[in-house]
This record gives sequence, structure tokens and C-alpha cells, in this order.
Amino acid sequence: MTRKMIKDHPILNFEHEKKKVVKFTFDGREMEGFEGEPIAAALHSNGVQVYRITPKHERTRGFFCAIGKCSSCFMIVDGVPNVRTCVTALEAGMKVETQTGMGILKPEK
Amino acid sequence: MDSKKVDVAVIGGGVHGCSTAYHLAQKGFRTALFERDYISSGSSGRSAAGLRYQFGTEVNILLAQYNMKCLKTLGEDLNYPGDLEYDPAGYLWIAYSETQLEQLEKNVRLQNELGTTGSRVLNVREIQEVAPFLNTDGMLGASFNQEDGHINPHTLCFAYADAAKALGVEIHKKTSVTGIITKNGRVAGIHTDKGDWEADAVVCCAGAWSVEVGRWLDLEIPITPERHQIMITEPVERMKHPMTLCLDDGSYWKQCPNGTFMLGVGKEEVKDTSYYASWDYLDSATERILPKMPILSGIRVVRQWTGPYANTPDFQAIVGPTPAEGFYIDCGWSGHGLQFAPSVGRIMAEFVNGEKPFIDVSMFRYSRFEEGELFFEPACI
Repeated sequence: MTRKMIKDHPILNFEHEKKKVVKFTFDGREMEGFEGEPIAAALHSNGVQVYRITPKHERTRGFFCAIGKCSSCFMIVDGVPNVRTCVTALEAGMKVETQTGMGILKPEK
Repeated sequence: MDSKKVDVAVIGGGVHGCSTAYHLAQKGFRTALFERDYISSGSSGRSAAGLRYQFGTEVNILLAQYNMKCLKTLGEDLNYPGDLEYDPAGYLWIAYSETQLEQLEKNVRLQNELGTTGSRVLNVREIQEVAPFLNTDGMLGASFNQEDGHINPHTLCFAYADAAKALGVEIHKKTSVTGIITKNGRVAGIHTDKGDWEADAVVCCAGAWSVEVGRWLDLEIPITPERHQIMITEPVERMKHPMTLCLDDGSYWKQCPNGTFMLGVGKEEVKDTSYYASWDYLDSATERILPKMPILSGIRVVRQWTGPYANTPDFQAIVGPTPAEGFYIDCGWSGHGLQFAPSVGRIMAEFVNGEKPFIDVSMFRYSRFEEGELFFEPACI
């Protein structure tokens, strides 16, 4: 599952082997990622590159600024729209979905 | 140096200045408008831009009827190629106290008596029908008009400015008026940082900054500027929700056509014309609005800004001629002025032309303060 990740970096030591592997779903497909890493990083390492479809021109968007500013990685996570997946930590059992258009707010249960 | 000469100089490129210039040009006056910064840069462009029939004094209700009729087709009438984002999403005034509800009932009664259609008082069940995402706990009732709504304040100003320009009005942006020229006891022109203009009449539409303009003619215009802040959220899918306002705590919010929510609170604030926004405002706005609109919990705020209200002692405008001959004022709208540009722009041109205004606005006269004839508008914050 670390197929698309840097293993040997000249400065940083990622210590992937020490991290806890958790399961989550992307559009219903089960995937694995490291607990606490950005959701977007987990998707990237699973080969997922399209995170949302833009409201006006219906274009695909994915990982871009990676610091929670650009709105490119907005996804629906556990039913909540407009989640910045590049700065939101992955948790076990998360339901991550591609967001099409603007988020739809739902009343709290 | 060539002397620059016009019939009328208008001070201020907000919505009232632009509309006044447009109406003056329609009557054939050679007109020049002077704006210190850019069109809509002051209070107009910073406004939440609510539009409503729902007022509580006769003069405002009559003017509002004309405003609302004009605003419906204004984009086409002014031949504006952009989008005014005129949105008749309705306007809901919610009440949590008996006093407020009684006031709303009184307002609606007066509106109906004066021929306004569509204003009505709602009970809690009816509120849920027009605003299904509102938490009605503790609410006693509301007043509502489905034909009220909101608009984009910037394009509204641009539409009037462009239409004025098309009729030959000179629009001088980035030009500060620095003084008023008088000759033989009457207004004869203006000084600016780009030279002088001769003018037979000067109309001041400078909002909260009118105080400074008045002093050049030894007039004490009784306006107290007051900072008002607004914040805007990220866009989300449009939902059924009218512009909502609560007089009990001064909060109001609307969803713009692009899906963003604009959140505001009128509260005790700094009395100046500065554009500084404050951190504590985030708390004061959200703690009032989120309990009423819980669906917005978690939505992200992306920006906050400030625009000054031009408050008068009775929260009513000051409109008409002044003791300084040739000097007219249209200011002091105390936070509800944007929507009055269609009617009062026309009225200012009528004043300058020596006509009787098409709606009597003598209540708004400058002299009412020394005469002690204040009349309070109950439907504003």
C-alpha cells in the first residue's frame, strides 16, 4: 500500500513501518491508509487523483495546494461536504466520497 | 487653466451619488460625480444589500414601494450588461419578545394601509414553511414579505454609474473633494485634489463622511458614524431561505445567489469611519446566528469586513436643500439606505431642478433636528 509514497528521503524519515494501518472507504471501495495522515495523502497512495468535480464547469480537481487553502481537495467525509482532505487526519472507518458541485448542508441529527 | 464647469457636482460614488447623477443627467443637467476611491468603495459596497417593503414609517414605506418596483427590472432599464443578482428570496423579521412582535404587527398594518401588498405576520408554523432550516425555539412570530430580498451592492452601483456615464455624466474616480467654493453667499463649485470645478449646485451623497463636507459650509450635519461588520462563508448549494433579521439581538443573514452566506450583527460598536475588522465580531455574530440556524454550524467563514453606518439621532435620512443655498444633502441613512437609491436619486434631481419631489420627503429635512421634529424608524438596526 505504500506504492506511491517516498520511502527514502535525504532529510525526512517517514517511518512508515511504525504507523498504524487503518481501513476506510472511497466511493464505496475499501482502502487502507495510515491513521492520522491527511486523507488526501491516503487517497494519493491508493492511486486516487480526482477528489471533486467543480460546480460551474464540472471539471475534475485533486491534490493541489496541500495546505488547506485552495478548495481543490474538497470531499464529502462521513456525510459532511467541503472537507479539506489535505489537512484532515484519516481515521479508521471514514467514509470518503467524491464531491460533485457545491456542498449540500444537512440539518444536524 | 481652462475652467472646468458643470451644472451640478455630486460628491460620493456610492449608490445614492450614482443614482442622483443618473437622474440629474436625465433632466439635462451637466453633471460631474466625484469619488475619493472607486465606485461602491464606501458603505454601499460593504452593505448586506437587503431590499424590502417592510418599513415602519409612512415616508419609508411609500419610498420602498417605488424602490421595489424599480429594482425588479433595474438591470434592463439601465441597460446594464452585468448581473445585479436581484434575488426576491423574501425577507423575514423574527421576534422573540412581545414588544418586538407588536412592533412588527404595527409595521405590517401600516404597510397594508399604505397599499403594500404581500407583507404579513406569520405564526411559528408559517415561519417553518418559509424558512425550513430555521430553529424556531423561543420564537413568537415574524413578519414576512416574499417579494423582498437582496441584491449585489457593487453591480447596483456600477449599473447606475454606467448609465449616468452613458448620459454624459463625468465620473471622476480617485478624486477627493477637498472643499466647497462659495460666491455671493451661495455654492459656486468644489475644490478637489485634481483642480476646481465650477458648479451651480452641489449634492452631497457622502454617507458617514458627509459630516466633514457639511463643515466646509458651517453646517453641523448630525451624523454619528458607526462601524458595522459582516462576514461571508464559503459557498454551499442554495437552500430555501429568505433574508432573515432579528431585532431582539440585531443579527441578520442571507444566502447570496453564489451560495455564500452573509452573516451580520448590528450591535454597540466603535463610532468611526475606519475599515478595521475585529476578532471578537466572529464570536458575537456566530453565537447569535448559529442557534437560530444550526445547519450553518461547521460552515467556514472566509472573509470579514467593515463599513460604516451614517447614524442620525432618529435613524432616519437627511434629504433635501440646506441653509447653504445650492447645497443639497442625501445622507444619514443609518444602515438601510442602499435600497433607497432609486426613489431618492430621482428626488434629489427633482430638488435641484426646483420641482416638488414625487413623494413628500419633508420629514427628512435638515432643519428637523433644531426644530425637535425627530421621527424614529422602528424597522432598522
